[in-house]
Amino acid sequence: MQYTLLVTGSPYQSKACHTALRFIQAAMKKHPNSIRGVFFYEDAVLIGNQITQPPRDEINLTKAWQALAIEHDIPLYLCIAAAVRRGILNEDESRRYELEQHSLAEHFQLEGLGTLVDLMNSTNKIIQFR
Amino acid sequence: MKHTLIHLNSSPYSGLACKEGLDLALVFATFEQPVDLCLSGPALSLLTLNQNPTIEQGKNLHKLLAGLEFYDIENVFIERRHTWQEADNIWQGVQSLDTEQWQSMFSQYQQVFRF
Repeated sequence: MQYTLLVTGSPYQSKACHTALRFIQAAMKKHPNSIRGVFFYEDAVLIGNQITQPPRDEINLTKAWQALAIEHDIPLYLCIAAAVRRGILNEDESRRYELEQHSLAEHFQLEGLGTLVDLMNSTNKIIQFR
Repeated sequence: MKHTLIHLNSSPYSGLACKEGLDLALVFATFEQPVDLCLSGPALSLLTLNQNPTIEQGKNLHKLLAGLEFYDIENVFIERRHTWQEADNIWQGVQSLDTEQWQSMFSQYQQVFRF
């Protein structure tokens, strides 16, 4: 069985991003390839901000997700509309808005909600973390 | 094809959750995915007629309700309550369910997303 995760809870106001991360780590131990992808929506897109600097004695959640993506080859999608409104832009979006900076962390990609529909139709279940 | 229920439970004016839940419903419908809506708690204020929010207060999401049928979103459910039954200033496109119907509704969908 393959799952897609929909993460909507803010990394700062909820434990949604933390719990989803632990869920994947546990799932991968038992069933490698059980996660098709992760789609971040609402305030959860803030996880893809490359310039956040948490205190050194706290988890760097963005880096933890990046490490997970590399280790298990799991795509991490951020809703493009939700991300851009919150200041998470890749180089293309940055150029489009005539900005000099971009802020999307590596191993995250901006996608439309249509990608979530594709994931929905190609996996058995979507699990929401909010 | 999976039948999706989008459950709105947040105030349209206290954050973006309600708007982003509605956006998701419209995208699902655009991609011809069957989707229904249900509203509870602070999200019920979406139904009140004659809303006129300022730009600081947020978008007038109530206006979206009239367009739902063009996206083939035909079912918008609320749980029947005395106050809502009697109110004459709410959008009439909703279907009221009694408590038993409301509770069983959630198990009739392959997936439920909450905002």
